[in-house]
Amino acid sequence: MTLTAKKLWIRIGIAAALLVVVMAVCVAIGSVSVSLVGALRGPMRDGQPNMDYEIIVHYRLPRIVLAAIIGAALAAAGCVFQAILRNPLADPYILGISSGAGLGTLAAVLLGWSWTFLGMSAMMLTAFAGALVTTWLVWGIGRAAGRTNITGLLLAGVVVNAFFSSVIMFLTSIARADQVQTTMFWLMGSISELQRPDVIAASGLLAAAGIVVLLRLGPSLNLLSFGADEAAALGLSVSKTCLAAFAVAALITSLAVCLGGLVGFVGLIVPHAVRLVAGPDHRQLIPISALVGAAFVVLADTVARVVVAPAMLPVGVVTALVGGPFFLILLVRCTKNLHWGAK
Amino acid sequence: MTLIDVKKVSFAYGRRAVLKGLALSVRQNDFLAIVGPNGSGKTTLLNLLAGLLRPRSGRILVEGKPIQRYRRAELAAVMAMVRQSTMPTFGFTVRQTVLMARYMAGGKLFETQQDYEIVDRALEMTDTQRFAERPLTALSGGERQRVFIARALAQQTPVLLLDEPTSHLDLKHQIRIFELLKALRRDEGKTIIVVSHDINLIQHYAESYLLLAADGRTEYRDEETGLDAATIESFFEVSGVEGTLAGRRVFVPTGVGEKQSGQ
Repeated sequence: MTLTAKKLWIRIGIAAALLVVVMAVCVAIGSVSVSLVGALRGPMRDGQPNMDYEIIVHYRLPRIVLAAIIGAALAAAGCVFQAILRNPLADPYILGISSGAGLGTLAAVLLGWSWTFLGMSAMMLTAFAGALVTTWLVWGIGRAAGRTNITGLLLAGVVVNAFFSSVIMFLTSIARADQVQTTMFWLMGSISELQRPDVIAASGLLAAAGIVVLLRLGPSLNLLSFGADEAAALGLSVSKTCLAAFAVAALITSLAVCLGGLVGFVGLIVPHAVRLVAGPDHRQLIPISALVGAAFVVLADTVARVVVAPAMLPVGVVTALVGGPFFLILLVRCTKNLHWGAK
Repeated sequence: MTLIDVKKVSFAYGRRAVLKGLALSVRQNDFLAIVGPNGSGKTTLLNLLAGLLRPRSGRILVEGKPIQRYRRAELAAVMAMVRQSTMPTFGFTVRQTVLMARYMAGGKLFETQQDYEIVDRALEMTDTQRFAERPLTALSGGERQRVFIARALAQQTPVLLLDEPTSHLDLKHQIRIFELLKALRRDEGKTIIVVSHDINLIQHYAESYLLLAADGRTEYRDEETGLDAATIESFFEVSGVEGTLAGRRVFVPTGVGEKQSGQ
């Protein structure tokens, strides 16, 4: 039952292998059929550009890698928010990130900004900025409300979210139809066609670094599950740990939002699904959730690009449509392993 | 040697004063019982001693050093606390819960073989090893209470603070826990500070007593003076009879004292 380094590495290995298989399968699926083996021959074949290579390396792979980064970041952040807020209903967007990012996006659309920076659109970057500023605001208000009071933080998040949402509603009601369309599609989560390999690699490194930091905080998060006072009595410096966990989780969530809009449900259900199967220890929960979350979003995005091809569904729609029923099945079947809080 | 020195400590929740100018010194290897009616500040005092609350005024010294100068992990190496019923948000098992006592000891990601041995011993001492692999949520209140006592033991601190550790326990385990505390004090030189409502149990086991009244009065008694009926009646606002049974002092409350105001 108890977790050792060896057990953890084995489980991470299994989950990573699963992710690689999912990614390999999804690369081969699409509106145009391509051959993975063909792509391995390199960019040129018989003096002609190799189409298999072209499609896989320049279109499918970047998108699949982005989907994996988004899924990993959201699932890991979900674990952390559920732990520090001691609330199984918490998701990465709970503290105002969604509305902040939404407002940022809408601002870029309404202002007609169409510049790009490092291959990222104005919309992505304003979303990132909006998400960070809002979480900082929520944290500030929550701290002012009570120094170690989790409820204060949660309420601040809910109210800021509601307030910004109404600002978004107001702005959409005065915006033009095409502007609204762009924003809505983005808000439902859609993985962008970012094709700069260096930017993708940087995003991946940032997300991976964030997840490793959160994994190192795993024991502290276990202590926090018993409440701030208990954790403090066991020797944890509660406010420092909360701030670190919160900041890193908010950062990788903002990164995910910047790359793919509001992909819902991943951060809520993946941690729960993993917890049901593998138990609540955060040292294991965080890395396994990240890998499972990555595989889940890769799959969902593949469905989103194939199902109504050549059109595309917002990936957020797929994650909710697939994830919801799947989670309910798991909930009913694994109820015996389910022990959240009071009976 | 004085281990914990409480100097003129006052505390209030908002405007409601709970402790006023409390002075107390706890010797090393003492077995101190804190007794008093609900709302007299017993738990507040424990939280102050554990550094979880800051006094409004006054100072608390632990081993001669002001408590606020300790880092949390340092303090957790000096004292462990058993609080009244707490439940985790997620379904940790008994063993996982007790292992958490070892987290801050080394600042490492995984527990060592030595940690496992310490935890096994703590589980055994509290008679909880039978359900070590069960989740906390699947236990009764009394079983859970013993798990938290096990966790405090696994912290291996010289001081144990316990807030009503036997409130949910059956008779056998009440005795077992107090016998365990007595043995820890005797064999390992631990200092025990316990809040309890069980007057007869603590009269038998404790070495000194701190009485707190709802109106802010306090009184300290050592083993010689003990707790007499008049004092208990005055602090708890009850009337009762005292006597000696098999060489033990007992107090049986029989009615509510005339000092009771209102209701």
